Amino acid sequence: LFAGVRQAQWLTKTKLVEGLPPAVQGIVDNPAHGFQELEERVKHAVSHARLWDTTEVAPRREQFCPVLFENLMHICRLMAGKYPSLSKRMLARNCRIAATWERESILLQVRGLSGILMNSMTQIPPVASKEEILATKEHVLETFYPIAPTIDLQEVNVYKELNDTGQCFADGYPYSHPHTLFFLESANVRTDRFRPEQLRAKMLMFAFGNALAKAKALHGNDPKVLEQPVVVQSIGTDGQLFQFMVFQLNTTDLVSNDGVKNLVWIDADQNLYEKAQCVPEIKKRVVTKPAGISGFQPDTFKKFLALYLHGTV
Amino acid sequence: MAALGARWLLRPGRRWFSETVPGTPPPSVSPLYPPVVASITAKSKSAKLRRLQRFKQRVHSAATVEEKLRLYGKLQRPKYTVYPQTFALNADRWYRSFTKTVLVPGMPPRAAAGKPPVAPAETTPKAGRAPEPGAEALGAAGAPEAAKTPGPAAGAMPYLDIGELRSLACDALLQESFYQKKKRPFLYRDQDHTPGPFLTQLVSTLAAFLSGRNPLLAASSLDLNPEVNYYWHHGEEVVVHGHRKGRVDPVRFQINDNPHLQIRVPKQLPEVVPLESDLGDVPVIDHKPSKLPLFKKQYENKVFTGSKVADPCCYGHTQFHLLPDKLKRERFIRERLEDQIEVVYRSNGIASLFAWTAAQAMYQGFWSEADVTRPFVSQAVVTDGKYFAFFCYQLNTLALTAETIKNNPRKNICWGTDSKPLYDVVEDGNVKGFNDEVLLQLVRFLLNRPKEL
Repeated sequence: LFAGVRQAQWLTKTKLVEGLPPAVQGIVDNPAHGFQELEERVKHAVSHARLWDTTEVAPRREQFCPVLFENLMHICRLMAGKYPSLSKRMLARNCRIAATWERESILLQVRGLSGILMNSMTQIPPVASKEEILATKEHVLETFYPIAPTIDLQEVNVYKELNDTGQCFADGYPYSHPHTLFFLESANVRTDRFRPEQLRAKMLMFAFGNALAKAKALHGNDPKVLEQPVVVQSIGTDGQLFQFMVFQLNTTDLVSNDGVKNLVWIDADQNLYEKAQCVPEIKKRVVTKPAGISGFQPDTFKKFLALYLHGTV
Repeated sequence: MAALGARWLLRPGRRWFSETVPGTPPPSVSPLYPPVVASITAKSKSAKLRRLQRFKQRVHSAATVEEKLRLYGKLQRPKYTVYPQTFALNADRWYRSFTKTVLVPGMPPRAAAGKPPVAPAETTPKAGRAPEPGAEALGAAGAPEAAKTPGPAAGAMPYLDIGELRSLACDALLQESFYQKKKRPFLYRDQDHTPGPFLTQLVSTLAAFLSGRNPLLAASSLDLNPEVNYYWHHGEEVVVHGHRKGRVDPVRFQINDNPHLQIRVPKQLPEVVPLESDLGDVPVIDHKPSKLPLFKKQYENKVFTGSKVADPCCYGHTQFHLLPDKLKRERFIRERLEDQIEVVYRSNGIASLFAWTAAQAMYQGFWSEADVTRPFVSQAVVTDGKYFAFFCYQLNTLALTAETIKNNPRKNICWGTDSKPLYDVVEDGNVKGFNDEVLLQLVRFLLNRPKEL
């Protein structure tokens, strides 16, 4: 997407809020979850993914990005020892998403492989209060005239308007609520990877697609303001930078530009660590940079874990 | 003689001029000539021995484990590549002879306190296998029988809910095979389509669920598709052709394994039997390994457990292997080789676990000249998606080279079961014929931990 998040906002009729929602921030700040002990384990996880996982000197991004994600997910899942309801989650890889909606007489569609999806049996409670939702009525979506909002979108003749995450899962699936989407930018070459702005836009579009499909499955196909907003979270990373996003679908009435808008909270460009040095850098027989992980930021993992625990805590 | 004469003359001189305090040893006379030993560069057997000794000294005195591993695998020569997942007939007998392993059928006996109390109580504490499926009523009805659960420590732990575990396993199975709509499997890649993701889901959810009970799991590290390599020498042969023809060389082996999943832990699993126990015989095969068939190749000698030496989780807990499409049961039945089905599971278990435990031992600094001082124990589950076979391996010795094996009474031990199905069939969103025994054995594997924890 060309203009990144701003374009995605217009397309999905969403209002942007910087930072994480107060509910998630509350989980981050809550000391009862024992984040301190986890710090050591997260450092080991990062070192394992970036330094130790291979017989060669340094693993490549195609290898370390998924390994880092798996390690972090393993640490998060082990929290199920403390919170037994966490075991009601299931990861689904390579699931395809399809959702269609109309936006000021332009028919838009989101399709494709949406990375890794985590489903849960229970729905995430709405993050924004009713007042905030009503307040979005006043918010005006920014347009970027003279660029049309549909720039960079592929125009395709759609013969069937497909509309489900049920595209992905059959009926009666017990873990029916999409909880979090994970996007891993793991291409080796930098130009093949999405830039952070584009990654955020992609995350927004797919989160919206999932939420819309779920809403239509729950409440039917008519466009209306939802009584129970659907919340879908999304985390994107390229192995070092993390983007966190919480999306709340308030309305499926997307044709007009007025009325209640959807909300998205974005916490962008969180570094988990500064640099991972595989071999110590030696200049003139003096070690300038020792081998290891430098600049570790535990807050990023705290947010990761908070988004994971959100909904059960 | 002149040297002796000089020393004889010197000695009274010493006593003359200095007063030796009684009790102090006479000051040692440094020899005038260096010790007479074999040459290093000559083309003789004693020179070869001396070179070998110098090499062993270098490895013994290496400063770090990485340096030791580098020196150990420095010389590259053609070696047999041993594949744990192989279609070779009776491969497990050959692998046992290569690795000096004794195969004991069934699971090792575990102490009563180590077993988790399950809501349907076990009948005997020493029984290696789970109670007969369906014999006890599960769930709430198990309460009166729970009083028979052995072990005073068991009273403190809440009972494992077999129903919950079963639902987790069934959910994972149903998701992968039924609920999630996937494209058709690629040709001959059936295992990547359904059983692979099912195994990953099952293990990760079970490990997370059981981490509350097993603190070792809570500190573990889960690897997806890791690499496990080990290089060793065993036996001797004469070089057949080439410029080194006629020389006596050790037979070199290398295992390069890719388990589907592996769990590594920071503390070692406890030993099952003492180090010097003898539980059976190692098969002796008189043929050359190439008759198996096994082929020689020369490439890098790697020793790797799954992550480098610097990782704190350096000991192994459990590996999970997925058999590829090439080795599926229907193929063996079609070719009328039904007895080889179990051989496939056994050879995979023995070879992979030997490589893993031996690599763990090398990471701690042991090698064939410096044998292990404590046994290394690891577990493995070999499956093809439906049938599960469980293995437990105890490494007692690394000394398998021709000279070190002569006076070495120790043998490595592998306990293994036959393959049993986890379920019968999945139909319409229901799993039919779920076998609790297999699940219970898996849970028991995951709950294995050192006695202190």
